[in-house]
Amino acid sequence: MGSFKRKSQEFSNEDDIPPSKQLKQNDLLGADEPVTCLHDVSYPEGYVPSASTSGLPQQDSKPAKEFPFPLDPFQSEAINCINNGESVMVSAHTSAGKTVVALYAIALSLKNNQRVVYTSPIKALSNQKYREFKEEFSDVGLMTGDVTIDPNASCLVMTTEIWRSMQYKGSEVTREVAWVIFDEVHYMRDRERGVVWEESIVMAPKNSNFVFLSATVPNAKEFADWVAKVHQQPCHIVYTDYRPTPLQHYIFPSGGDGLYLVVDDKGKFREDSFQKALNALVPANEGDKKRENSKWQKGLVVGKSGENSDIFKMVKMIIQRQYDPVICFSFSKRECEFLAMQMSKMDLNNDDEKVNIETIFWSAMDMLSDDDKKLPQVSNMLPLLKRGIGVHHSGLLPILKEVIEILFQEGFIKCLFATETFSIGLNMPAKTVVFTNVRKFDGDKFRWLSSGEYIQMSGRAGRRGIDDRGICILMVDEKLEPSTAKFMLKGSADALNSAFHLSYNMLLNQIRSEDGHPENLLRNSFYQFQADRALPDLEKQAKILEEERNSIVIEEEDSLERYYNLLEQYKSLKRDVRGIVFSPKYCLPFLQPGRLVCIECTKVDVDPNFSLSEEVTWGVIVNFERVKGISEDDANKKPEDANYTVDVLTRCIVQKDEVGRKTIKVVRLKDAGEPAVVSLPLSQIDSLSSVRLVIPKDLLPSEVRENALKKVSEVLNRFSKEGMPLLHPEDDMKVQSSSYRKASSRIEALESLFEEYEIAKSPLIKEKLKVLHKKKELTSKIKSIKRTLRTSTVLAFKDELKARKRALRRLGYIKDDVVLQKGKVASEISSADELTLTELMLNGTFRNIKVEDMVSLLSCFVWQEKLQDAQKPREELGLLFAQLQDTAQQVAKVQLESKVQIDVENFVSSFRPDIMEAVYAWAKGSKFYEIMEMTPVFEGSLIRAIRRLEEVLQQLIQAAKSIGDIVLEAKFEEAVTKIKRDIVFAASLYL
Amino acid sequence: MRGIQLSFSNTQKLRLEKALAQLESFSSKLNSNATVIVADKIPVDEDAALKGHGTLEMGNDVVASVCGVVERVNKLVYVRPLRARYKPEIGDIIVGRVIEVAPKRWRLEINFSQDAVLMLSSMNLPDGIQRRRTAVDELNMRSIFVENDVICAEVRGFQHDGSLHLQARSQKYGKLERGKLLKIPPYLVKRRKQHFHHLDQYGVDLIFGCNGLIWVGEHIDVKDVMVEDQVNKSDPQNTHSSSLPGSSEEPTDTPLEIRQYICRIANAITVFSALGFMVNLDSIMETVTLSLSLNLGVHEMLEAEFHVRVAEQEAERRSTSKRRR
Ligand SMILES: Nc1ncnc2c1ncn2[C@@H]1O[C@H](COP(=O)(O)OP(=O)(O)OP(=O)(O)O)[C@@H](O)[C@H]1O
Ligand SMILES: [Mg+2]
Repeated sequence: MGSFKRKSQEFSNEDDIPPSKQLKQNDLLGADEPVTCLHDVSYPEGYVPSASTSGLPQQDSKPAKEFPFPLDPFQSEAINCINNGESVMVSAHTSAGKTVVALYAIALSLKNNQRVVYTSPIKALSNQKYREFKEEFSDVGLMTGDVTIDPNASCLVMTTEIWRSMQYKGSEVTREVAWVIFDEVHYMRDRERGVVWEESIVMAPKNSNFVFLSATVPNAKEFADWVAKVHQQPCHIVYTDYRPTPLQHYIFPSGGDGLYLVVDDKGKFREDSFQKALNALVPANEGDKKRENSKWQKGLVVGKSGENSDIFKMVKMIIQRQYDPVICFSFSKRECEFLAMQMSKMDLNNDDEKVNIETIFWSAMDMLSDDDKKLPQVSNMLPLLKRGIGVHHSGLLPILKEVIEILFQEGFIKCLFATETFSIGLNMPAKTVVFTNVRKFDGDKFRWLSSGEYIQMSGRAGRRGIDDRGICILMVDEKLEPSTAKFMLKGSADALNSAFHLSYNMLLNQIRSEDGHPENLLRNSFYQFQADRALPDLEKQAKILEEERNSIVIEEEDSLERYYNLLEQYKSLKRDVRGIVFSPKYCLPFLQPGRLVCIECTKVDVDPNFSLSEEVTWGVIVNFERVKGISEDDANKKPEDANYTVDVLTRCIVQKDEVGRKTIKVVRLKDAGEPAVVSLPLSQIDSLSSVRLVIPKDLLPSEVRENALKKVSEVLNRFSKEGMPLLHPEDDMKVQSSSYRKASSRIEALESLFEEYEIAKSPLIKEKLKVLHKKKELTSKIKSIKRTLRTSTVLAFKDELKARKRALRRLGYIKDDVVLQKGKVASEISSADELTLTELMLNGTFRNIKVEDMVSLLSCFVWQEKLQDAQKPREELGLLFAQLQDTAQQVAKVQLESKVQIDVENFVSSFRPDIMEAVYAWAKGSKFYEIMEMTPVFEGSLIRAIRRLEEVLQQLIQAAKSIGDIVLEAKFEEAVTKIKRDIVFAASLYL
Repeated sequence: MRGIQLSFSNTQKLRLEKALAQLESFSSKLNSNATVIVADKIPVDEDAALKGHGTLEMGNDVVASVCGVVERVNKLVYVRPLRARYKPEIGDIIVGRVIEVAPKRWRLEINFSQDAVLMLSSMNLPDGIQRRRTAVDELNMRSIFVENDVICAEVRGFQHDGSLHLQARSQKYGKLERGKLLKIPPYLVKRRKQHFHHLDQYGVDLIFGCNGLIWVGEHIDVKDVMVEDQVNKSDPQNTHSSSLPGSSEEPTDTPLEIRQYICRIANAITVFSALGFMVNLDSIMETVTLSLSLNLGVHEMLEAEFHVRVAEQEAERRSTSKRRR
């Protein structure tokens, strides 16, 4: 069949494309060629692009919109595609100017009397874009969950969730929209919400075109291929990793007092300066004390606060060097506030500015009631702002967040402490960006920042047209391998991978519409596309490996294999024994400084060793240390369970490779090399000697170390005949473990067996074993590839789909693929757990309780966070909550019985009663400050929860309509009026 | 005898009665005591019960506001009306007849207590281009549908002003031509996943409108939107002329054979509805096959004997499916 794919159409017939088009070469360190961009096209299979495309009449006519600045190549490239009426995916850095492309698509649609939809992942961003577009075009409307303005306008700004539900409902917009713009489309990889993008893109009207705006993603082409396939239309890719303002990356070592340039604006990594920076780190020993009292805020405070804190010193330096305005990113709300607190002695604004700030602030707060104006968050913020310092995170009152954004844009805030959310979409660049930490807590552990995150956040540095370069500063508080740093600073952007998953609401909506089929959605998902695409590659790989394996022929393979297995067994037993003996529990007491220790030499080749014993050497113990855990509760672990390393003085070969990474190899004492102290895991200890030497305290001078090693050699010589006296595991180290005894007797038994193998005596035995080992490795690789192949050839999620449909049938939501009453209720609910809420509603729980109780109960659906000292709900509310838990339990059980993978306990405990009292009080008419006093949460979080609650109520109103219960419907309406008031629903300043 | 206006011979009468009695015995086991008439009290155990469609709260009592069968889902009670007028639900596929071309909308009679509205913006334009509707489009509305056209659409829902809105999501909705419109009681059409059926062997399209209007017509290939789109794009000059209504190629007459099939299927449905049986694709197809195997002429299907045969067949079918269960 004609399944050819014409990639990257010959450009010769598209004369209109500027000559600057260049396929980007290897972009290693080549920041020299700034204005290149990559243009490629994906065609659906079998699509024959007509030659006349470039001669479209639009070409001669005036552009739909002109811009006050000359366009960058990627912009004009993308605009060209739009002019030709073809979809385009634009992938470029933060602040590169992607909005220009969106603006053009909007202008073109309006000119042609077509509708255009712009979607963004965040309500706040939608509000701002609405304002931006409204100023430009006027025929603009806005639809977020919170507000609806002029829904009949030609250009509609909305959140992606709204767009999804409009498509399910079949709004007329879907028939009039010519262009759909998905901004920040890389959000598709979001674990929770990403699937909404996939649904929206798959279901999008067949005859419309798309503009996708995304951060740099390495697989933009893959995404475009998918769009081309699903929508049977060409989709262009315009990719650039050009930054309008080049960046310089510095390191600020904690405890030190200077900046070290590690990556210059040409993109070159500076080895020397990196090492200097690390050397300036306050060494761990001296930091010990500090480390203790600041456990996990380590480095940020290092025991000192206020003017002595690192952050203060650094901000001061930034101001002195006129690197402001600066955004300091940190990864938690509390940390953000804490850091801002350290700035109490800093004043960055003059009196005029202070007056201005005060005016802007109070005119924004004007819409608040007097009580709300007195909220601590409001009154505490102003003094900070007046000094030119701001805070921005999701815990703030939305109105405060907005006023701070405005002040920042006006240049009144010189130093802003923000969380990661500030790096998404808002056009608020600064001159400098500071990363207050290089590690981030990602839900279960601390990990290094990914290069993708680094790229996104550092994109805020450098204001286009104002700064000639942007500055990024990394505050480093612990030893960092140059490779890690390099990876973070210069690594590639994160790939755009599908985060598709099924939900009941999705299934019901799909089943409900005449031509919707969940299977279709799955088949068209990006997830399936990516899985399918990996197949041919995998198959090829498996084939190559199989050929390689079959080409290996070994004589006497059987007996060799038996010998091989015996060896493996022997080695694994040895490992077990050592694992027991040198577990911290037994060996820690013997790791005193001065003890001679036998350790494994570093293996020279990667091939496994097939002799009976490993190569070993001797050294002397200097110290042992607990490995710093990565998770917080590590500190509470028992010493036995923690990981330790032992510092040993021995002979090593220290090498630096070209990137400056140090490699240390432990070698034999007789070999050439330098005396050095290395940190080794306990597993590398072969045995401990009973001999101890006195070693000097200061091992820094090289002679001292050399001397110490000489002594070690002397001891070894003295015992060369009878062998070194070793600590006996049972007698000396008091190892009492039955598994130890079992393993050591097995070892003895095995040792006698070796004699029986003729093959072992062959001179080439080592080589033979190596070959066999390779063969075995190949076999296991092939196996694992085949396993993935098997799982991905079937429709992704097929089993889960079956299971979920089964659950829906058992609960009476669907029958014969027709959605029943209950299913219709659940299909209306998308902002809370649809099954539990539907069951609760149909069990009549809401029917005869007071409105306030009902609202309070519903709050459990929108609050997941577990609060430390949340107020326990009073008895009536507690009983309601228990009912909710029962229902959730039943719902989860049915799912489990239907073979849906679900953790019942987890599911039930995902409903939290923590804000029931506060929400109850709010529904009763309490003031916001009153309910804040009841719950230890951030203002912004509570407001978000109540707004979401209102969304749920709106959906419940629709649900009540669908079953025809007027009384219940009225009750939900009443609930809305009770909670929708004051500061919680204060309008956005952008509107 | 279910009000059938036919003259049966005595044996036919007996046979029919027997078949119907047999059918009755299958259904009467369900919910026989749950039938209510208007103002009947519906027993509910607690006041936590949800009162759904067809019910009213009067003081402490719940009463039925329609005649029908009481249904319960969890704590929800509602009355499923028997032999009622059509009651639209979102997503229903319906067939209706245009009664008025109004500004930006068509009014349709859909066998409901009020007329339905199909907005100009709720259907795809004939040229397939996604755009806002202009005054020109409005003037051209009559070239899309005029009074008395039969069209097929989906129920979009009630708007805030209480009017019922329809929509035509894709090309398969729209004007129905060259076929026969049947009207049967809506309760004989069950809501299913599929309401559109293409009967390949007869070259016929069959649409079961949830509102009791049923369309049997010559099969029309739904143009593949994407293909059409490509043609449009590559050939901008032709787009306008080719898609202009009226200028499309000369209509050819529906072949006699297909016309006969249309009538045969229509008659099968008529018999079914006269007997008061739920219509669904399988049983209608069986009935058509039966008529063909009996070598009956199209008109003979409406005679008494065939009614009896159909009733017997249905009784047979249901008893076998009962047994299989
Ligand atoms: N060609 C250009 N020349 C000069 N300035 C430009 C040009 N293109 C865009 N800009 C300006 O650059 C700024 C940033 O643009 P924009 O907000 O579109 O970035 P973005 O790519 O959308 O970033 P983000 O990833 O944050 O969404 C805007 O103020 C815009 O006016
Ligand atoms: Mg943007």
